[in-house]
Amino acid sequence: MNPPKPSLLLVDDEERILRSLAMLFRGQYQVQATTDPHHALAMVESAPVHVVVSDQKMPVMPGAELLRQVRERSPNTMRILLTGYSELDAIVASVNEGEIFRYVNKPWDAAELRSTVDQAAQIAAGLFAAPAAAAPAAIETATAAEGILVIEDDDEVFRTVQEIVGHQQPVHWARSLEQAFEHLERNAVGVIVSELTVQRESLTAALKLLKAQHPEVVTIVVTPFQDTDVLIGLINQGQVYRLLPKPVRRGPLGMNIASALRHHRMLRSSPGLRSRHAVEKLRQPEEVSLANRVMGLLGRLRSRAVV
Amino acid sequence: MSPEASQAESQDAAGHTDIAALRRVVTPIGSDTRVEQLADIIQRGEYAGLLCLPVVDDGRPLGTISRNQLTDIFLLRFGRELYGSRSAAEVMNRAPLIVADDLSLEDAAKYVAANIGSPISEDFIITRNGRYDGMGVVIDLLGAMQTRLAHNARQLAQAYRQLQSSQAALVQSEKMASLGQMVAGVAHEINTPLGYVRNNVDMIQGVFGQLRELLGEYDRLAQMLTDDGADEQALGRQLVTVTSAARELHDSGVLDDTAALFGDTLFGVDSIKELATNLRNFSRLDAAKVAEVSLNDCLDQTLVIANHALKGKVKVLKRYGDIPRISCSPSQINQVLLNMVTNAVQAIDHDGGKLLLQTKADGAWLRVRIQDNGKGIRPEHLPRIFDPFFTTKPIGQGTGLGLSISYQIVEAHGGRIEVASAVGKGTRFVVSLPLEPPTHSTAAAQAAASSNRGTR
Repeated sequence: MNPPKPSLLLVDDEERILRSLAMLFRGQYQVQATTDPHHALAMVESAPVHVVVSDQKMPVMPGAELLRQVRERSPNTMRILLTGYSELDAIVASVNEGEIFRYVNKPWDAAELRSTVDQAAQIAAGLFAAPAAAAPAAIETATAAEGILVIEDDDEVFRTVQEIVGHQQPVHWARSLEQAFEHLERNAVGVIVSELTVQRESLTAALKLLKAQHPEVVTIVVTPFQDTDVLIGLINQGQVYRLLPKPVRRGPLGMNIASALRHHRMLRSSPGLRSRHAVEKLRQPEEVSLANRVMGLLGRLRSRAVV
Repeated sequence: MSPEASQAESQDAAGHTDIAALRRVVTPIGSDTRVEQLADIIQRGEYAGLLCLPVVDDGRPLGTISRNQLTDIFLLRFGRELYGSRSAAEVMNRAPLIVADDLSLEDAAKYVAANIGSPISEDFIITRNGRYDGMGVVIDLLGAMQTRLAHNARQLAQAYRQLQSSQAALVQSEKMASLGQMVAGVAHEINTPLGYVRNNVDMIQGVFGQLRELLGEYDRLAQMLTDDGADEQALGRQLVTVTSAARELHDSGVLDDTAALFGDTLFGVDSIKELATNLRNFSRLDAAKVAEVSLNDCLDQTLVIANHALKGKVKVLKRYGDIPRISCSPSQINQVLLNMVTNAVQAIDHDGGKLLLQTKADGAWLRVRIQDNGKGIRPEHLPRIFDPFFTTKPIGQGTGLGLSISYQIVEAHGGRIEVASAVGKGTRFVVSLPLEPPTHSTAAAQAAASSNRGTR
């Protein structure tokens, strides 16, 4: 007897998309499909669903909102957004609310989508099989000292973060990629609050590699930057935890840092959960070349961790 | 000093004023100079071109004696005898024209024009710090003023051109903003069918591979059957391979499913084709600027373009009348209709959204009614909605030019837009266009003509 097939839920207001996807995954998956997001939520509640693939633009409810509700009802269900047009609002909501695994543009490549869904299903199967994560509250006191690293040209965000966390957490400030890695080397960092460029150098590749190497470090990106492709890359290859627009408002930043710290502690205490944030390989050649430099820095970081 | 530079500022870099630039340095005469001497003095070269002589004592300008005066004196019988021994002070004009050199060109011209006698028989004294500095010639002043006016006119013309181009830029930016929204919607509308079409083709390719393989097996079987020396056992095995592969294909339902995919795929390709056709009709870039069109068709094209915003959110009720075609600029009228439909959709903030589109012929007018059951326009906003830059949308979401441009477009077509709105109930726009286009001499033509003049 074969093990039961993983369960895949497809949501799109266009039935032809559903038919097409259902056929693509027929055979390897137990496929359910619906045009109604409310119906989809009911399905997630009634039986374990490994992977949800949802459209963004639907009349009843946007996909990012659906995926947020799926996350609340079933955190182990891996969430993928499949969208016809990348609007900034949708991208930000899919990160901050949906905490999605992948953001995929239509039209998609069948083989790529299949491998993305396969990976998500494998991760979900592991998550469903593992015992429930230890309550983060129990470990809070023991790990209260992990630091927050702010990577930013000017000190405004740094000072705001300092004011927010007070003396509870050390806050470090890096003004370059090198400084950032020095801090990571010397201090235990749990959360990174970062711009996307320092000294006119892009940080996206570094943030992506860092997540690949250290999935337990949680990243909040604070930026006025609005290039949708870059932001999508940060989801798929960087698994950023939050995207906050600049100028930063203190209230939301404080809430998100608290939430990021909780998430970091959960990832630290339950290594199995880190698989949720598995990232795609880098694709852009310029990012790959920068990666070599970053890998050197990360290598030093790792050798220190071993000692 | 170049005349251009002197006109740009009332004072140039070296501190020379406009008036100082007009100054002619001539030796003034003392007030005790005798009249009989003046006849010789005024013929000296330095006074050539001057209408009068300045009378100055110790730098204080006292008056002027004009050529006219002297002529009058010497033409009198015994004039020379009567007046010759008198002093200049006795015969001079005691209220001469005096212009301080720090006066602006305009003020000097104003003063001279107000005080000069007719016919013009004198020039003006130029003073610096109250003291005599030279003479100014009225004709020179006029010339300087004329250059100044020409310069101002050039500046005005340039400012007008800049204003025109910035207005064009604003209209363009409104177009780009609505285009941006449209592109987002259209990209979504294209990518959705493209998504399943591509996926279907991917899968069909996979099935094609399977079928080709199976066909290969059949070929081998056929070869074995026709080959006399074939091995019976091998033939048997090949038969099993072929039939089991074929059965597998049948049982898995792959063939039926794939056959079903063709329907969806063609539908998707047709959707994209229809969208492309509509986009072309909508923009009419390839057609004449003015055409005979049915507003019902324009509304339908607009609905296709706005479909992404309407779909699932707003129920569209069409009450199209049997209306004649009218002559208009379809791309402009479509821009107006899209603007109204988009506004209506944006005004609807509840689930039961409705959009009524009605057309009818009413006397000499064609009326298009666009009515929504959205949140309505506040009474204090209603008089301002056609004003440029008036918007209640958040910064960055509306240029505030949409309705203003729509209004201009409809006006240029000889029509008008009326609006009625109730907060919480909805808004109704009625676009009225003349069934018979205004004759060529009227509105649209005039507008076109005046814009041509403007750009020339």
